[in-house]
Amino acid sequence: MSQQRYAIVLDTRKCLNCKACTVACKFENDVPVEDEAYRIWVTEMPLTGRFPYLHQEFQPSQCQHCENAPCEKVCPTRATFTTEAGAVLVDYDKCILCKACMVACPYDARFVSLEHKAVEKCTLCIHRLQEGREPACVETCPTKVRVFGDLNDPKSEVSRLLGSSNSYRLKPEKNTRPRLYYVT
Amino acid sequence: MFREQLQSVYQIHKNHSRDVHNLPFIWLGAVFLVLGLIGVLLVLFKGHEAVYGVSREVPWGLLIATYAYLVITSTGLAFIGGLGHAFGFEKFAKMNKRIVVLAFITLLAGFTQIGMELGHPFRLMYLFLLSPHFQAPIVWMGIFYSMELVILGVELYLIFRPGKTNRQLTAVFGFLALLVGVIATSNLGFVFGSINARPFYHGIYFPVFLVVSGIAAGAALLLVINNIVSGFKVREELQDSMQALGKLMGLGIGVMIFLYAWKLISSVYSEPEGMSQAALALISGPMALHFWIGEVGLALVLPLLLIVLCRGRNSAILGLSGLIYMLGLFFTRYDFVVAGQLPPMRPGFEGSGVDTVKGLVHYTPSPVEWMIFALGLGVFFFFYFLAERYLDLQT
Ligand code: SF4
Ligand code: SF4
Ligand code: SF4
Repeated sequence: MSQQRYAIVLDTRKCLNCKACTVACKFENDVPVEDEAYRIWVTEMPLTGRFPYLHQEFQPSQCQHCENAPCEKVCPTRATFTTEAGAVLVDYDKCILCKACMVACPYDARFVSLEHKAVEKCTLCIHRLQEGREPACVETCPTKVRVFGDLNDPKSEVSRLLGSSNSYRLKPEKNTRPRLYYVT
Repeated sequence: MFREQLQSVYQIHKNHSRDVHNLPFIWLGAVFLVLGLIGVLLVLFKGHEAVYGVSREVPWGLLIATYAYLVITSTGLAFIGGLGHAFGFEKFAKMNKRIVVLAFITLLAGFTQIGMELGHPFRLMYLFLLSPHFQAPIVWMGIFYSMELVILGVELYLIFRPGKTNRQLTAVFGFLALLVGVIATSNLGFVFGSINARPFYHGIYFPVFLVVSGIAAGAALLLVINNIVSGFKVREELQDSMQALGKLMGLGIGVMIFLYAWKLISSVYSEPEGMSQAALALISGPMALHFWIGEVGLALVLPLLLIVLCRGRNSAILGLSGLIYMLGLFFTRYDFVVAGQLPPMRPGFEGSGVDTVKGLVHYTPSPVEWMIFALGLGVFFFFYFLAERYLDLQT
C-alpha cells in the first residue's frame, strides 16, 4: 500500500460562518478559552459588490500543514516535525518556547499554550486519525465545507474534488505548499 | 602561592581618584539588578505569558531587542579587540584589557535576556546537544555565541594570568574572537533574515547591518567607558586610541546611513507587500517617534555631527557622541525587531482572531519586560564597574 498523503479540501462557498468547527476543535483538543488560544478560525472577508448584488465570503482556516514548513525549518530542537503522511506536529516536551516558529509561520497558526507550556497548533486531530476517525472540525461541519482524505488514493473524495475543480492555496508566493486546498 | 596570584590578579587601586567615578555606576547596577531580580521572581511565579507583553502576533519583543543590543555590542567590541591583537592596530591593543572585560560582561548581560525570554532555557541546554536541528539558524546562534563566550573567557585568562604574556596565543584568541563574533552576529541577522513570512526581515540586510552597527557600537561603548572611568579626562597616551575609535564609529555610522537609505527606499518603492507596511510603520506610523528621534536623530545624525564638529579630536565630545549613539542604537534594535512583526499574517477582519489598528498589529512592552531589561543593564553596570574598581584594566 502506498504511503498516505493527507489533505483537507475546503469549499468556502458552503461556509455559513456558524463556527461549529472552532467550537468542536476547542472541545476535542481542550484548547482553553482565551483570546489568543485557538487552532482554527473563520475570517469574515469584506463585503464585495454593490446593493442589490452583494457577496461575502467566509474563509475558515487553520495550520496549513505545509509541505515546505518554515516553522519546522527554524525549530532549533526538532520539536516541530512532520509525520510521513504530512501532519506537521509539535512535540511539547521538546519545545523551548523560542517562538521562532510563530514568527516564521506565514499563516499565524501557532500560539503559546499555557496548558502544555509549549507552542501549540492544529494537529490534524492526529489522535482521531489513528482511530480511523476524521478530524473534529471536518466531522462537525453541517454543510461539509471541509473534506479530509488521502491524496495518494485516486479514489478518495479529496482527489476527486481537486481533480474536478479549480483550487488555490493560501499565500502561494511563500512557497510553503500547503496541504489545505480551497476549491472554487 | 594562591594568595600571590590573587593579589596580582586583583590589584586594588588605593590611590586612584578615578575609582570614585565607578561607584555610582556600581550602585546604579545594583539598583537595576534588584529590579531585575524582582522581575525574575514575577516570571517564575506567574509565568512568562502572564507578565510579558508579547503576543501571538508579536512573539518577539523588548527582550529579544535587548538581547540583540547587548550581544551585538559585545561582538563589536571583540572585533575591535581582534584588530588590536591579531592585526597589529596598536591604538586598539592599548585598551586590550578593557575591551575583553567589557565584551565578556556585555555578552553575559545579553544572555540574561535570552534566558528570560525562552520559556524553557534549561531544556534548551540539553536539547541543543541531544536533538539539535542544524537547519535552524537559532542552533547556530547558540553555537557561535557560546563559542564566543568561551573564547572571551580564554582571553580573560590569558590577560590576567600572572607572569609573562604569551603574545602569540593572545593574538590567536583575539583573532578567533573577531572571527566568531562577526559570524555570530551575521548569523543573528540571519535568524531574522531567514524568515520568509516577514518580508521586512527577509534577506541579507540584517546580517550586514547588525555587523556594521555592532562594530560602531563597540567603538562607541569604549569611547563612553574610557571617559567615565577617567572622569572625562582621558589619559594622554590613550588620546590617539580615542581618535581611532571615533573614526571607526563615524565610519560605521556612515555605512549605516547608506544601508538605511537603500533599505527604506527599496522597502517602500512600489509598495512591496509586508515590507512597505513595516517600513511605513517606522517612517510615518506608530513607531515614527522612535524612528526619527531614536534611530535617526540619536543613532545617526547627532553623533556623526559631534564627531565632525570636533574633527574627531576631542575625547570628551567623542565620549558624548558615543553615549548618544548607544542610546539611539537601542531604538534601532527595538524598532527592527518590532516593526518587522507589525504587518499581520492575515488581515484583521472579524473572526480572523487578529486585532489590527490601521492594518497593523501592536505591541507595548510590559512592566515586567522592562524589569528584565533592567536585569541586563544591571549585570552590565554592576559587574563591569566592579571589574573597573577591583581589577587593573589599564593596559
Ligand atoms: S501553517 Fe504555519 S504552523 Fe502550519 S505547517 Fe505551515 S508554517 Fe507551520
Ligand atoms: S517555540 Fe518550540 S516548536 Fe517553536 S521553534 Fe521554538 S522550540 Fe520549536
Ligand atoms: S483538525 Fe483537529 S486540531 Fe486541527 S483545526 Fe480541526 S479540529 Fe482543530
